Amino acid sequence: MKKERVKKESALRTGIMLFLVFFKIGCFTFGGGWAILAQMEQEFVDKRSLITKEELVEMVAVGKSVPGIMITNISMLFGYHVGGVIGGICTVLGITCPAIIILSIVTMFYNSFKNNYWVMAALTGIRAAVIPIIGSAALSLGQEVLRTRMAFVILGAAFALYLLGVSNIVLVLTAAGIALVYHAAGKRIKDDAETIIKGENN
Amino acid sequence: MIYLQLFFSFMKIGFTSFGGMSMVPLILEEMQSHGWMTARDLANLVAIAEMTPGPLGVNCATFTGTQTAGTLGGLVAVLGVLTPAFTLTLVIAIFFEKFKDSAVMRTVMKFVKPVCIAMLLGVLVTLGKDTYFSDGGLLIFSILISAVMMVLLRKYKWSVPKVIGLSALMGILFYGVLPLAQTIY
Repeated sequence: MKKERVKKESALRTGIMLFLVFFKIGCFTFGGGWAILAQMEQEFVDKRSLITKEELVEMVAVGKSVPGIMITNISMLFGYHVGGVIGGICTVLGITCPAIIILSIVTMFYNSFKNNYWVMAALTGIRAAVIPIIGSAALSLGQEVLRTRMAFVILGAAFALYLLGVSNIVLVLTAAGIALVYHAAGKRIKDDAETIIKGENN
Repeated sequence: MIYLQLFFSFMKIGFTSFGGMSMVPLILEEMQSHGWMTARDLANLVAIAEMTPGPLGVNCATFTGTQTAGTLGGLVAVLGVLTPAFTLTLVIAIFFEKFKDSAVMRTVMKFVKPVCIAMLLGVLVTLGKDTYFSDGGLLIFSILISAVMMVLLRKYKWSVPKVIGLSALMGILFYGVLPLAQTIY
């Protein structure tokens, strides 16, 4: 009994520590996920040695391949690794709270200033920059992804369907569905081939 | 009930987006289908989200939720967008060793990533219409700003906040000072 209570208390303490450290990271990290990762490496690999660099790299790889916000996924994996379920939840809340607070304030100001003549002029200029920012993200993703003919075919098909009015959510879900079927079929072919080869050997 | 709608909208966005900018097309679609936001607001939002600390997805959810239904709306939207982290990722964290080299997820990513590019192209078309064509006219200065920023981003590797800062100055010059000067002279 007593031991369990001590365990619980220390889990809570770990949770609070994780919340505070990630809150700090969340406050000062501009430029999205990768900047946050650099901070995490400094804080937890170099300074506190809570995980190894390899473990962090594994978490990034997994966090990138599950749906949702990459950095909150990685935070959850990391927090769970250090402090169980409570640790995971505290870490995610820690990294998101600063963003929520800051954006709530900014949104308030946005609403009261967006119709000001000078703010409108600045925003018109900024909107012209958003297109190359998104375009540049698309280019980088393209360099990473468009290495096979199949990737080009999927891109072309998806864009054609988009122009025909198919919604984004349907596109993503269809692609994931086809991938699952493709994976299952590929595995089955491999299994079949293995049984045939085994049969021939016998 | 607006809060429930916001929560489910952002839960949907969370579960169908895979990292960074790929969330933007999904947000635009959801916002337009509910009439919560215009393409112009979204472009402003992307700029704001890139200039403030924190992950893009959380910033977008807070902004949209607050715009639509106040502070509580913002919180609900964030909870929605975090649902994948609190459910799916938690389960994966528990079975991390098994999931580490999952071939299934690799195949899914192989199919979904090209779709993300297609979605980004789609959102560029939508935003382009609003940014370059306004009230029937072509905004030449906006095209100029876009071209300059593209070069700064790709060739000179400028950071995004710096690019946004310079484009704001150029906007003030071209769309603030210049029209005033023209009316004076």
